[in-house]
Amino acid sequence: MKFASIIAAAVATASMAAPALADKLDDIIASGKLRCAVVLDFPPMGSRDANNQPIGFDVDYCNDLAAALGVQAEIVETTFPERIPALVSGQVDIGVASTSDTLERAKTVGFSIPYYAFENAVVANDKVEMADWEGMKGKTVGATAGTYEAIWLEGQVKEWGEGQFRPYQNQADVFLALSQGQLDATVSTVEVAEANVKSGNFPGIRIVDKAPMVPDYVALIALRSEHGLIDYLNLFINQQVRTGRYAELYAKWVGEGEPADLTIKGVYR
Amino acid sequence: MFNYTFQWKQALARLPQMLDGAVVTMQVALLSMAIGIALAVVLTLFRLSGSRILSGIATSWVEIARNTPALFQIYMAHFGVASFGIHFSPWTSLLLGITFNNAGYLAENFRGALKAIPDTQARAGRSLGLSELQAFRFIVMPQMLRISFLPMTNQMVWAILMTSLGVTVGMNTDLYGVTQDLNALTFRTFELFAVAAVIFYLITKVIQLGARLLARRMFRY
Amino acid sequence: MFDTALSANDLIFLAKGAGMTIFVTLIAVFFGTVLGIVFGIFRYQVGPVIAAPLTFVLDVFRSIPLLIQLVLANAFLGMVLRLGLSGLTVACIVLTLYTSAYCAEIVRGAIESVPQPVRRAARSLGLSWRQDMTNIVLPLAIRVGLPSWIGLSLGVMKDSALVYVVQVTELLKSTQILITRLQEPLLLLMICGAFYFLISFPVARLGGYLEKRWTHD
Repeated sequence: MKFASIIAAAVATASMAAPALADKLDDIIASGKLRCAVVLDFPPMGSRDANNQPIGFDVDYCNDLAAALGVQAEIVETTFPERIPALVSGQVDIGVASTSDTLERAKTVGFSIPYYAFENAVVANDKVEMADWEGMKGKTVGATAGTYEAIWLEGQVKEWGEGQFRPYQNQADVFLALSQGQLDATVSTVEVAEANVKSGNFPGIRIVDKAPMVPDYVALIALRSEHGLIDYLNLFINQQVRTGRYAELYAKWVGEGEPADLTIKGVYR
Repeated sequence: MFNYTFQWKQALARLPQMLDGAVVTMQVALLSMAIGIALAVVLTLFRLSGSRILSGIATSWVEIARNTPALFQIYMAHFGVASFGIHFSPWTSLLLGITFNNAGYLAENFRGALKAIPDTQARAGRSLGLSELQAFRFIVMPQMLRISFLPMTNQMVWAILMTSLGVTVGMNTDLYGVTQDLNALTFRTFELFAVAAVIFYLITKVIQLGARLLARRMFRY
Repeated sequence: MFDTALSANDLIFLAKGAGMTIFVTLIAVFFGTVLGIVFGIFRYQVGPVIAAPLTFVLDVFRSIPLLIQLVLANAFLGMVLRLGLSGLTVACIVLTLYTSAYCAEIVRGAIESVPQPVRRAARSLGLSWRQDMTNIVLPLAIRVGLPSWIGLSLGVMKDSALVYVVQVTELLKSTQILITRLQEPLLLLMICGAFYFLISFPVARLGGYLEKRWTHD
């Protein structure tokens, strides 16, 4: 019995010892590669160009971070529902994937300070009469599974007690369903809504109203225990704003105007 | 032992919601199976009919169902047919997709089963004054269903497993959909999906057991 | 409908996806078959009691949706064991075990089918054989098992469409990526379906041919 427990302890120590020395930040620098989970059907944050190469705000953000770390960036495409499994299973080092920093999720993954903030818009099919966001009451609405707006919209439908909510696996399916008339309306970030209406890829849709939600602050994500990495991410985000790179990326991908304020008045982070 | 802290309580607290999802999963699977069997019988008749058009339809159905992924079929039932302006809810699309798949596979099983039933039986029935359809209905079909009982049970299990593909067409009330929704809220992937896996396992066991009892009742081997 | 923005580039992209589908399938079928034969023979030799744990584990693979197997394996290997495997590796491991679970069943069934020629399962497969050949187990077992095995291999190819959940871009996923960009769901889905069909159909026919030929000799 004693002997067995000694062996078990020895095995446990041996297996624990190696990874305890270096943390994730060291691993990334040593491996020369930063693997970022990015959602690529979420223009302008992430999409693909005519050669099916990843482009977008989040892609550039990952590249900037990799450059700061002095490593190569590797973009790993994930859907919204799959980004956390990808992170926790170690297939990516961080997520640059517009992840809303909810308290419920913070129990499981580690969040940096916000790197972007979305406002959300209600987009409707042209054939559906809708004056403002409350017009969604009783309609068939949908959003991308696993997103902040989907959680809000599903809650709203439950509160109204009528109508139907459908989560699709990705943003493209939501807009496809909306354009086909399978959905009457959706809630998505203003950026995505405008990009999709403008692109002409989805005929027969229009922006109706802003959704009355608290701005959706999104953060970079890493494993909860990787404080060294998260500290680095926080400083990196601060530097992006400080150096004007944040505004530059905003102008490049989103358009004119002021990028969203990432500070919250009256409270420390 | 592991460098990971399991939070089973968080997952188990959601068990009632997941069990509700399991009920929806069973409903869809059972319905798809019932309709699937009926359609498969029709397809079998089409193949036996001797009409080129009818057997062509049946053969295309069977071959497409068997040679493309179920996920593709379900996706098609939602987004594909919508290109023609036909809209199905996620629930209906999922049901249609699985039913299409079930019918194709079962029709093929029935064809195999028919080979084991001698022609002479149907002919004997005909000479007793039964119509062709009656001979099929009273002599061939009961044997065909009995021989295909085991493949049908397997298909039923597959139907249960296939419901997990409904999420791709916006389904969120079945067991997989509920689990994924909860995962989006809490990010407790491993614990939630482990619970879902156990529920799926139990459902399939119940079905296999039920099928065995039913077979004993019906066939008295 | 044929007025399309689809470029040669996109077709190459799709072909890459199809290549991934075939690659994952070949790996899974090869290793899954080897494992399946070992498991199947083991189960047959040691009897149901001793083999019970193995039987149980293999049964689990056949009773849980592949989607959940992939998500769970991915979370377990990465999150709990922290092995840092790529999604492709996880996909291959899970699909291999999944294949082996079905294959073991086929192998065991094929072996068992030999001494009892009139078994219902074999009859529903449309097979028959001469009783005087029962002492030649292997060739007979192969004849029973091969058509099912071909069906299994094709099943694995179709099921490999699910490995998108572990970030492997196979045929269906590449199709979805193109749908996102080009918004031509019907055309792209048709192409994708045709790809699968063109690979699967001839092989399925070959299986049917072998089955028929061996039934009548």
